[in-house]
Amino acid sequence: MTGLIRLAFLMLYRDRAKYLALVGGLAFCTFLIAQQAGVFCGVMLLTTSTLRNVGANIWVADSRTEQINSPVSMRDIEVNRVRSLPGVAWAVPIFLGVLPAKLPDGSVQNLQIVGVDSGSFVGAPKVMIEGNIQSLILPEAVIMDQVAVEKFASRGVQLRVGSRFEINDQEATVVGFCRTRRSFSGFPHAFTTYERALEWVPPQRKLLSFILVQAKAGESEQAVVAQINGLSGLRAFTTDGFRLETMRWFFRNTGIPVAFSVVVIIGAMFGLWVTGQAFFLFVHDNLRHLASMAAMGATQGRLAVMVMFQAFFAGAVGYGIGLGLTAGFGFLVLPAETPAFYLPWQLPVAVGALVAVICFFAGGLGVWKLRTVEPAMVFK
Amino acid sequence: MIRLFTLITAVLGLVIYLAFSFRMERSMEDSVTVPSPPPSSPFEATVGASGLVEALGENVNVASIISGVVEKVFVVVGDNVKKGDPLFQVVSSQESTALASSKKELAVREAAVEVASKELAQRQDIYDRTEKLRLKNVSSDEERAQAVLVLEQAMAQLAKAQADLGLGQSRVIEAEAALDRTLVRAPRDGEILRINIREGEYAQPFVGDSALLLGDTKRLQVRVDVDEYNAQRVRSSAAAVAYPKGDHTKSIPLRFLRFEPLVVPKKSLTGASVERVDTRVLQVIYTFERPDWPIFVGQQLEVFIDAADPVSSLSPAGK
Repeated sequence: MTGLIRLAFLMLYRDRAKYLALVGGLAFCTFLIAQQAGVFCGVMLLTTSTLRNVGANIWVADSRTEQINSPVSMRDIEVNRVRSLPGVAWAVPIFLGVLPAKLPDGSVQNLQIVGVDSGSFVGAPKVMIEGNIQSLILPEAVIMDQVAVEKFASRGVQLRVGSRFEINDQEATVVGFCRTRRSFSGFPHAFTTYERALEWVPPQRKLLSFILVQAKAGESEQAVVAQINGLSGLRAFTTDGFRLETMRWFFRNTGIPVAFSVVVIIGAMFGLWVTGQAFFLFVHDNLRHLASMAAMGATQGRLAVMVMFQAFFAGAVGYGIGLGLTAGFGFLVLPAETPAFYLPWQLPVAVGALVAVICFFAGGLGVWKLRTVEPAMVFK
Repeated sequence: MIRLFTLITAVLGLVIYLAFSFRMERSMEDSVTVPSPPPSSPFEATVGASGLVEALGENVNVASIISGVVEKVFVVVGDNVKKGDPLFQVVSSQESTALASSKKELAVREAAVEVASKELAQRQDIYDRTEKLRLKNVSSDEERAQAVLVLEQAMAQLAKAQADLGLGQSRVIEAEAALDRTLVRAPRDGEILRINIREGEYAQPFVGDSALLLGDTKRLQVRVDVDEYNAQRVRSSAAAVAYPKGDHTKSIPLRFLRFEPLVVPKKSLTGASVERVDTRVLQVIYTFERPDWPIFVGQQLEVFIDAADPVSSLSPAGK
């Protein structure tokens, strides 16, 4: 058997051009699928970046709220109603909304406003670059994220602590900087207190976006979510549940998943076609060698194992290179977070399985070609 | 050569991937951190509500009785006043003049009484003498009848002058009252919470904000807004705890005082110029001992009330 493997390697490496075409095709196919799927995962993750920026265990929203990026506003008093429910340790309001900021030069930049509870600062930024969260209680105070610094700088406004700009004709003063995950809209985050955020938004009857809830110690989050759903008429989610619900919404209502799956299918088809063709030709060119092995007593079965081994070996090498390229791309875009890119461990596994399927079909094509091998072919 | 190259590249690819996934997972770490935990109810079953600190027995909007320019304000914000203490004075020149002239008129009427009584005395004297002379049959019956008539006339004159004097006295009292009305006094003991009127401004009854806000700040009460959905869960004996908004480390135990009998639309107190009507609320009044840290009238509190039943008949909100 080892002899057969050695022969398989010899045969594989003998024709460099075909070997490289085989490996290159598989590497490219792996890269195309993994990279596109990675960007897709990144975009899906981006849709729930608010969940991660705010960081709460249970989210309560109006019953008609479908996903985190477009909350249906509630009445302020719902906070007190949720506080009155069993299993709730505490509940605080949060405001999420997009408001235009007027820069000193008169240009306008939309901001993703996050208004957090002024007593507990639940939902306030997790990573401060400069200043501290407590400064939010200062008048007109706002904490900006790294995206804001970039966006303002691109308009020639250098944001620093003490910088001022206008939101809806009201002054805002920067008291600190934080690091956040980019919002789905791409707008910079501006954190302030709930009360101040309400002063900035044009007056409306209902302005409360979400209620952030902590379950009492010893109570399961699922049970509390069920209690809130059953008793209040509001809609409660666990963080994971809300993430899934939001992604599901994007699947149902946007073309994003279709667009990416088309690319993945094209990648797989491309891989199948290139590899299958290259391998078929490879077997075809080596028919004489295979025939001589048959003449020396190798059975069809053993020859098939050899061909399959060749296909899977080329597949493994191509997959490795492709994955490396994908990871390299990931390293390139990780610091800036644009485009969004995320590789959960399931993704390389799935791509590997797909490559294995491709290799199986390509090898199968070669094996099918083997049928025609007979010892006499040596003399042709 | 080529096989070594592809193999190494493939292995390198896997290594790069592992490094990337490690780096990525580290950047993915999220934490749920709470800088300072929000207030939590100390009760098993609770009704959450929001409250507003008021002076005990509510605040008094002290208005001016008459309209006019304010001449003098006697108090500053924060002054403790007793019932009846003067608060501010509306310009009173007209009223003082009226009082002065009514007093002069009174003097005139007093003089008139004096004159009438002198007159009466003189007539009495004439009558007495006529009577004596008539006993000596010196004067005639006619003369006596004349003297009686004159005397009666003088008596009537005196009665009129005296009545006039009474009228003059009540005119003075009237003028004094009018003058008194220009001075606004404290209707009860308390602290001056707000002054909306300054010297030179025009004070009017029933226009906009009242001139002064007076309240008893020695003892405070909380007006707690309970959502109508939770209203039936609040019992009159229920214990309650309040936390000042923005500081959840301090708590105040509350003592039930009374229910407001009327369920009213809630005003959300954001301080915005357009107050938003939210929902209807049951107002429960609680009282508390002043804590050893400062607390002010008008401050918002987050309140937890011990609920009677854990789940109750809470119905899903009809939207």
